[in-house]
Amino acid sequence: MNELAVELRHIVKKFPGVVANKDVSLKARRGEVHALVGENGAGKSTVMKVLYGMQRPDAGEILVDGQQVRFRTPAEAIAAGIGMVHQHFMLADNFTVLENVILGSEPTKHGRIDTAAARARILEMAAAYGLDIDPDAMVENLGVGERQRVEILKVLYRGAKILIFDEPTAVLVPQEVDELFAALQGLRAEGLSVIFISHKLDEVLRVADNVTVLRHGQTVAEVAADSVTAQDLAELMVGAELPTAPPRSTVPHERVVLSLQGITVGGQGTRDLLHDVSFEIRAGEVVGIAGVEGNGQHELIDAIIGLAPCQGTIVYNGTDISRFSVARRRDSGMGLIPEDRQREALLMGSALWENRMLGHQRSAPVARHGVLQLKAVKADAAVIMREYDVRAPGPETPAHALSGGNQQKFIVGREMSRQPSLLLASHPTRGVDVGAQAAIWEELRKARDAGMAILLISADLEELMAMSDVIKVMLRGRISGTFDPQRTTLEQLGVAMTVASA
Amino acid sequence: MSRRFSPQSIALTLAAPLVAAVFGLGISSIALMITHNSPLETFRAMWDYGTQVGSLIEMVNLGAVYYIAALAVALTFKAGLFNIGVESQIRLGALFAAWIGAMFTLPPVLHVFVILVVASLVGAMWAFLPALLKVKRGVSEVISTIMLNSIGSALSAYLLADHFQQLVAGSNNVTTKPLPQSAWVPDLMSWLNRVGIKDVPGGGPYGLVFLAVALGFLYSFIVNRTRFGFDLRASGASPTAASVSGVNPKRMIILAMMLSGAFAGLAMMPVMLGESHAYTLGFRGGVGFTGIAIALLGRNNAVGIAFSSLLFGFLEVSARILELNGIATEIYIIMQGAILLSAVAAYEVVRRYRETLNARALARAGVTA
Amino acid sequence: MRLSKRVLTAAIAVTTVALAAPAAMAPANAKTTVKVGLAFDIGGRGDKSFNDSAYAGLVKAQKLLKVVTKTVSATAGGAATEREDKLRLLAQAGYNPIIAVGFLYADSVKKVATEFPKTRFAIIDDASIALPNVSSLVFAEEQGSYLAGVAAAKASKSGKIGYIGGVRIPLLQKFEAGFVAGVKATRKSATVDVKYVSEPPDFTGFADPAKAKVIAKGMTDAGADVIYSAAGGSGKGNFENATEASAAGKPVWTIGVDSDQYLTASAAEKKHMLTSMVKHVDVAVFDMISAFVKGKKVADNLGVGAGITGRRYNLKNNGVGLATSGGYLKKLKIAAAVNAAAAKIKTGVIKVPTVPAA
Repeated sequence: MNELAVELRHIVKKFPGVVANKDVSLKARRGEVHALVGENGAGKSTVMKVLYGMQRPDAGEILVDGQQVRFRTPAEAIAAGIGMVHQHFMLADNFTVLENVILGSEPTKHGRIDTAAARARILEMAAAYGLDIDPDAMVENLGVGERQRVEILKVLYRGAKILIFDEPTAVLVPQEVDELFAALQGLRAEGLSVIFISHKLDEVLRVADNVTVLRHGQTVAEVAADSVTAQDLAELMVGAELPTAPPRSTVPHERVVLSLQGITVGGQGTRDLLHDVSFEIRAGEVVGIAGVEGNGQHELIDAIIGLAPCQGTIVYNGTDISRFSVARRRDSGMGLIPEDRQREALLMGSALWENRMLGHQRSAPVARHGVLQLKAVKADAAVIMREYDVRAPGPETPAHALSGGNQQKFIVGREMSRQPSLLLASHPTRGVDVGAQAAIWEELRKARDAGMAILLISADLEELMAMSDVIKVMLRGRISGTFDPQRTTLEQLGVAMTVASA
Repeated sequence: MSRRFSPQSIALTLAAPLVAAVFGLGISSIALMITHNSPLETFRAMWDYGTQVGSLIEMVNLGAVYYIAALAVALTFKAGLFNIGVESQIRLGALFAAWIGAMFTLPPVLHVFVILVVASLVGAMWAFLPALLKVKRGVSEVISTIMLNSIGSALSAYLLADHFQQLVAGSNNVTTKPLPQSAWVPDLMSWLNRVGIKDVPGGGPYGLVFLAVALGFLYSFIVNRTRFGFDLRASGASPTAASVSGVNPKRMIILAMMLSGAFAGLAMMPVMLGESHAYTLGFRGGVGFTGIAIALLGRNNAVGIAFSSLLFGFLEVSARILELNGIATEIYIIMQGAILLSAVAAYEVVRRYRETLNARALARAGVTA
Repeated sequence: MRLSKRVLTAAIAVTTVALAAPAAMAPANAKTTVKVGLAFDIGGRGDKSFNDSAYAGLVKAQKLLKVVTKTVSATAGGAATEREDKLRLLAQAGYNPIIAVGFLYADSVKKVATEFPKTRFAIIDDASIALPNVSSLVFAEEQGSYLAGVAAAKASKSGKIGYIGGVRIPLLQKFEAGFVAGVKATRKSATVDVKYVSEPPDFTGFADPAKAKVIAKGMTDAGADVIYSAAGGSGKGNFENATEASAAGKPVWTIGVDSDQYLTASAAEKKHMLTSMVKHVDVAVFDMISAFVKGKKVADNLGVGAGITGRRYNLKNNGVGLATSGGYLKKLKIAAAVNAAAAKIKTGVIKVPTVPAA
């Protein structure tokens, strides 16, 4: 049972402006659960899309059962026995389980759907793989875990021998995770291959036989799950090299720019998304926030900028701004580089000069007495493009035509143009090429030296270590630790971020 | 939104509507041939009749009404909303304007101004309801405005019949008290006389054609040159980015809908103050829906909507000759529909071509990654 | 000014005639042939009621008087200027007389008749235009409806009677007023359930049989056994309901409107159609053309205002009345009562109200 079911050799996939996969190799055997781990943006999803025929690789080979293949569409991948269980379910709510499973590949008898044959096969598969489900239940009445089982049955029904799970536990509660893992064992026992994408390392170690680690679009290791610890994986994911921060020439001022006291953001369930978070940022200081994604970082930014209703007190430059609107907070001099720049920081279809106004539309030089100063704005957009090396034909170019790095440089330039006293920077260099990354770091350092307070959220621990004066780790909506980057190792951060959560 | 005015850019801007017009004529020709009519003769008859002075004046008059209605719709399109309720905002605005306007006499210009304000306010208030429902209860404005059209229509029937009506001996019509002369806006025939155009039956362009023009400039200024307009467009382009930038989405929904309603309330004013001088049972229906089509065709752009309004007006007027030639007038509705559909397709083709040009420009700018 | 306008008008007329020529039937002798233009109300031909009745009169004139005809129609929800333009186009193309069907044409007729003082115009259902070249053709619908009320009161066993109007406009309320008065005068204890299919500006009530059927069903469920539908094309719903209710053991009589609807009803519907309140729009149209051909005018003083002339069609001149097709009035022995009431109305003993009692 140890033959290779699927092998990827040196896959390269480029997008305009980003190289998503530089050199990815992966081997999954029959009867194996193979985990693919890496930070967000490491290229996990891209390589799986390549395998599933949704993206065509620019270079590299794909072998299925030792035969070289070339998929142009998912349909061809499915025909070759590859199936994908998506993170977001693609089910028709008003259909039964059975109807959903056979949808698109209905067995027919005399031109009519052979429901009996379909039911027999589904029950047989469910029994064989331990996927307990009622074929006649309506999907709208099912829980998340059950829906996922329907998705798995759908894939199996189409004859998949290699199943790709894209972050399957992201949507599940712990008990459902256990059930899923039991099902994965069932699949493995039947000789199928499972490729399991995740960045939750404890789960990976529980379920996987082998682990392939990606970093910055490259395969950096393939290890047996029982031979590593979560810390080892974390280190492999973020890179073991110590950060090379140039020693800073200035020291933070004493003046507190932002002070958070007991900030709490309620969640849908019993647990708060953000619970009793308190800290201060001084002028000229960079506070870094580390943490596995989804532990409250987004809510923290939303609370400070005014998008999330919260309890607690926010004092900014000596003023209590807890009741201020988003507009008033921004106009009082808060710069913001949001996490998802395309959704939150840009109007993708609009010209760069229009984007220059976004977030700054209420104050000079953009508007005077409610009237836009288009000439000034266009000129200013051109200045930002020049000073921040935004490579595009001109201010008239629509934002979506730019590469990710150039979009980000433009956003940084825009936010810096107001010389804010506080900059909230969420993943400022994510998905950005190396050159742009260096440029953005340089801008942040210059601003810090000039006295700007910066809150830096990043999944890139190197970046945090290099930039921050102090690092706070967030876990389940709380600050779980505060570290001095000069006297901290990546391992220590990793522990605070991941192992403590297990 | 505004692009540089290179010859290529202008050619591209004109390409879509031209292609659409040609395609629309093609589809209409097929419809005509199916009904055993000669497309060429039909189009010639329409052209000959439609380009007579009287018809052109009527085109402008119809166009002015459509223009205001379409601007109202476009305002909400810009904000990512869809105000289908323009129809009833027009109706109620006109009904109240007619009722209140007939209550007193004022100096001419002032009287007209008061009536316009009433029409505008009533339209805005009727549009406030769906906005409030959306903000407070999350009700889609598409659904609520459709429903409010029915409610508005019934409300206007009740008010007209039971409260606002004035009986005229021998007539079976139901009408509000006629507006006093001080509220009438004379037509512009005397202006045309001055440039050598002779009187035609049916009268000249409505005086309030200027209202439509002014609203066009106002629309363009608000949308493109003010902070409010930017917030509006940002909300439409990306609600998330807009709220992160400090736009209050609820406030924006209410303001956009009310402004749209204020425009809508004015749509029938050229006719009411220029010709009918009252609100009657014969009050024109469907203008709000035509406005939706015109806003789409005009790409929410003040100039584009102006051309589209005139085009719709032209087709409608020129088709009036057809019944005398034994061809159903409704052919113009087919033409309007076909042009609209072709325009949507053509705009998409042009948009893609523009993308390609942009990509090439980027490449020339030496951007690799 | 006046001169230049006429010159231009003539120029337009010439081009228009040239354009219209291929479609219009070429008259053998253009000088003597009368060309009649007729403009339909919203809905146009095919409503088996009001517009079709007007068309019937036109067809009759075409056959008997050898006139050339041309019809145009108003689009639903169309601009007032559309009605105006259509009338003007007919006038410019030399049609004379021109008959406008429906009160919504009033403003347009007034305007165009002023522009073409030598052309004869007629308007149906309106008497508000005081111009020497306009004939107003109006009907005493309340009188015919009164008779329908008498018949309904006599035919009803339950004493519960229904009235379904098309759209709640004064014209239709005239039908209602007469009908209710007829019922009450005949049988004091009887009740009339009054419903309208739609409210203006929604004019779909004249062409919504499905909704009318629901209303009729509600009435029969509540015990009504005679239902008068004055609702154009919507009347069909009333007739269908009667067929179904009768089959289910609740016999229901229907009363049609405008045309003699017995003639166009299905076999099943005929069994329940007591009578129709006929409004002879066809007669009015034919009279108008006939008079014109003979060089006369339909220009009685209508007594509603100075200079408003035309003709009022009532029981006396057989312009309205009850149809006898099916013979049910006789079979049920109602005819005598109806005739007696008719005689009293003709002599003025009974004055029928035109507005519903508040």
